[in-house]
Amino acid sequence: MRPAGGEALLAVEHLTKQYRNVRALDDVSFTITDGITGILGENGAGKSTAIKILLGLVPATSGSAKVLGLSAFDNVEVRARVGYMPEHDCLPSQVSAAEFLTHMAEVSGLPSDMARTRAADTLRHVGLFEERYRAIGGYSTGMKQRVKLCQALVHDPAFVFLDEPTAGLDPAGREEMLTLIRKTHREFGISVLFSSHLMADVERTCDRIIVLHGGRVVHSGDVAHFTKETDTVFIEVDTSRDSLVAALERRGVVVMPDGNGLTVQGSDESVYDQVRDALVEAEAPLRRMAPRRRELTELFEREREARPK
Amino acid sequence: MTGTVFDIGYQRYTGIREGRGRGRIAVFKDGIRTALGFGRGAQAKVLPWFFIAVLAAIAQVMALIAGAAERIAGPGTAERMNLPSHSDYNGIASIIMFVFAALVGPELLCRDRRDGVINLYLVRPLTGSDYVMSRWAAFMAVMTAAAWLPQFVLFLGLWMSDPSPLDYLAKHWRDVPRFLAAGAAMAAYATTLALFVASFTTRRAYASVFLVGVFLITAPFTIGLAMETEGALGQWISMFNLTNIPVHVNDVIFGEESEITSEAPARLLPAWVRVGWYFAWTIVPGLVLWSRYRKLTP
Repeated sequence: MRPAGGEALLAVEHLTKQYRNVRALDDVSFTITDGITGILGENGAGKSTAIKILLGLVPATSGSAKVLGLSAFDNVEVRARVGYMPEHDCLPSQVSAAEFLTHMAEVSGLPSDMARTRAADTLRHVGLFEERYRAIGGYSTGMKQRVKLCQALVHDPAFVFLDEPTAGLDPAGREEMLTLIRKTHREFGISVLFSSHLMADVERTCDRIIVLHGGRVVHSGDVAHFTKETDTVFIEVDTSRDSLVAALERRGVVVMPDGNGLTVQGSDESVYDQVRDALVEAEAPLRRMAPRRRELTELFEREREARPK
Repeated sequence: MTGTVFDIGYQRYTGIREGRGRGRIAVFKDGIRTALGFGRGAQAKVLPWFFIAVLAAIAQVMALIAGAAERIAGPGTAERMNLPSHSDYNGIASIIMFVFAALVGPELLCRDRRDGVINLYLVRPLTGSDYVMSRWAAFMAVMTAAAWLPQFVLFLGLWMSDPSPLDYLAKHWRDVPRFLAAGAAMAAYATTLALFVASFTTRRAYASVFLVGVFLITAPFTIGLAMETEGALGQWISMFNLTNIPVHVNDVIFGEESEITSEAPARLLPAWVRVGWYFAWTIVPGLVLWSRYRKLTP
């Protein structure tokens, strides 16, 4: 059950969800094809509602949602071909990972012997093969997060929803999880819808993004489009930052503070020459200089500024 | 000799997918394993197997006493002495069955909700109704087995200890369908009430304490009050002794009063009232249980 080549894996058209006094989704339309797609938004933006509708757990007030070419709602069998990794705790503490995953594979419709094989294979792919017979209650947070990912993959879905997969992880665990998510698509061939509020994670992992705000889609497209180079150069020096600013201003270069560094207007060769000369004059040791790329966080900052106070 | 390990990478699953039916069976099987503590630590096995052993031991002791009476005092003694029968066994065992259901049953629902595992079931090809019905069926199977197994032990004991086994079989074969029906009725009642209460809390201990309290504490209270109150009111107060509700059905099935209902004023009510009361106490909580899970979303 996989749509023909090029057809959308998920398609949402004019989707609206009205709870009593709250409009969680307002005329939302988007399509998701093969790859890793990030769904971004602040709390209450409508991410969870959209995922619940796509999983067929709540009905839409109006509009349509299709998963793998089939209507999402009232179509329980669709869920045999999608996986879901929730944000919150969802693992039993008493049973082993191998037993739990075998059970979850069976619940997804796989015959018992196949379920056992798939459970062992999936645990191997996420690096938990050696630990598979230990009770999950004794696992670290990172290991539990990997078991959560495993249960979403154990029945070999065509598509997987990951809800805040890096929540609660330390930097090393977060890095491992992001690597596994990339592997899920690039090596396993499973497309991903990745919900997060951590821009850096999305920027590094996703091919495309959908940004929700107040139940509406405010941006969607390739991540590269949103993070393309700007007409500025970013400079970071170890010391003498003020002297460098003064030297640049004397040369008529427009310079602005940017975090720990500076952003210089313009990106042609003459700007680089002037920066070089200013660095020499200010005797400032250069740490980093590169064309500045936009960051996804700026999307949200722009949205926030545009909002009526 | 050296070996080489080949990593063949991720393999897509191309085998059959058995859908919702397989999911229901998986939840049913897991329910049985949970109830009996299989695949869990030793602690999880203690409670269920203790109760099953006690139930079987009661039947065995009853069979041994009947056998000894036959051998020591001569054939027909057990019947003349009116030693406890299959019907009486259900009366005696009912309290133990209810405590068993109260302590073990909530584990099938409470832990899944407390750990959040229920959220993983609901995003699979399974509905809330499928889940709760499979869990109910699993615990019903365990309870039915716990009700039937000792009755078979008792039947075999009585049969083997009788000086003329063939005559015993010809005379008592009807006890088999009767104890099967009465055991299933008791199991359905205990299962439904245990899971009904468990659906209101994520803590197994709360559900267990509440159920044990309801089963054990209401019994002396209603017995005392019913004895003091004469007439129809006393009979109806006696009907609120929750441990006796399926035993009245047992009495109707066997056509005789068992030991624990022989003094209960409710025994004087017509059979259809007692059976109807049983169904009300089984079907209504069952429907509430089902409706609580039917629309459950993660």
